[in-house]
Amino acid sequence: MRPGHWYGRSTGLTVRMAIVMLLLAVIYLAFIALLFALRVNLVFIGVVVAGMALVQYFYSDKLVLLSMGAHEVSADQAPELHSLIERLCQQIDLPKPRIAVADTDVPNAFATGRNPEHAVVCVTSGIMRRLDENELEAVLAHELTHVKNRDVAVITFASIFSTIASFIVQWGFWLGLGGDRRDDRNGGAGATVLIYLASIIVWVVSYLLILTLSRYRELAADRGSAIITGAPSHLMSALVKISGTMARIPTQDLRQVEHQNAFMIVPALHGDSFSGLFSTHPSLEKRLAQLRELQRQMEGA
Amino acid sequence: MGLLDTLFGRTKPVKSKSDQLFAMATASITLQTKLDLQASGAAGIVFRPVESSYFRQAEEELTQLLELSSKESSVSIRTETDEYGYRWIVLTDKLFEDLVATIHMVSLTLTDKGFGEQLLAAVFRMNQADAANRPVYWVYNYKRGSFYPFVPQGTAQHRDNAAELHFSTIMDGELPVEKAPEYWYALWGIPF
Repeated sequence: MRPGHWYGRSTGLTVRMAIVMLLLAVIYLAFIALLFALRVNLVFIGVVVAGMALVQYFYSDKLVLLSMGAHEVSADQAPELHSLIERLCQQIDLPKPRIAVADTDVPNAFATGRNPEHAVVCVTSGIMRRLDENELEAVLAHELTHVKNRDVAVITFASIFSTIASFIVQWGFWLGLGGDRRDDRNGGAGATVLIYLASIIVWVVSYLLILTLSRYRELAADRGSAIITGAPSHLMSALVKISGTMARIPTQDLRQVEHQNAFMIVPALHGDSFSGLFSTHPSLEKRLAQLRELQRQMEGA
Repeated sequence: MGLLDTLFGRTKPVKSKSDQLFAMATASITLQTKLDLQASGAAGIVFRPVESSYFRQAEEELTQLLELSSKESSVSIRTETDEYGYRWIVLTDKLFEDLVATIHMVSLTLTDKGFGEQLLAAVFRMNQADAANRPVYWVYNYKRGSFYPFVPQGTAQHRDNAAELHFSTIMDGELPVEKAPEYWYALWGIPF
């Protein structure tokens, strides 16, 4: 009798995710403490950013579908797609999400929505044309794992203070930061510089950390897909097929979908300059390596 | 999956709950009397195979076990793979209790070998008491430990929702019926 589960462990990934989230928390807390010490009017900024975050959180599904030009499809219009997703949902114990199709030849798929009860899974006609049923199922399982892991909520939450920092940098001058210190000119100017400097640092560092977190969650979704389907090879072949196609599509088309990158299966903007530190998705090689490792664990190696 | 699992994106397959399965053995009488359904003598269990040699081994041992038990009882067994890559083990037996017991044995065997999470559902077919012998499937969802009715209609993917709601209301109390209809997943193309 083998010890443990057939699907092995992902300790390395969990540890790395924990470190990134811890770093983000430390930076944010230090930032808030600094702003508090310098008596910045956090209330106004907080309210605006919280408002933005709430709008993004509650309307992410509608906004994303609108921008992609996707339309919802009923079970009558896409019976195969619906039953494929329904079977997967039963396996993962998720209620069936709304299903949408975007009419574009760019192969891609994404999931959005604030929680599993309000989720939408969207596929492009391009991906349905290119992948066979096993590969499409693996891609859908990846997206449903995003839904189950509540990745929209996690990334939105992680981005809140990063947004506050960027807000201060971009609009702080107009908000009259440092206006409270009119009576102490030198301290006032110094404090303002400090606030801006801190905001820039927080903005840049947290942006990089959030990208890193996003990459780790993509790997987690890949792993989830392989565990749900029980077949890592299906996802591997799907990723290879899509990535190969992406490389040949001219950049002009892909710029339209840039802001949707975070929740797609493959980043719509392709090119080696976008991998590594500045990418929301890990490279194809890293993703395949993880899936191969999972296959080895499944064979008890 | 707990909160920490969601936070760290640690996907674990959903654990299967077999404990409520036996409720079907006693409920079959009520199904026949109150709902005017006839036992068809057919039932099946569906699970998701895993691409690993351990799973292939487990399946082989399961098949041998089933062959042994079919010699002792009157159960006849058939295995199929459907278009979604799921495996069906279809059982036929006149005695309803034998069907439930054999299905329970299959789920126990797979669980013992570490593949309990691959179980999707157990399906029991009843027929409506009319000339057409239209099927009424009672699906036991391993992920939620509850039953729900599934009445496919016609050739396209249509369900008789009215009949399903009617059946579930009557059986609520006799069987642990799934309360939330969004978890009454369709299983198109059941091979019996």
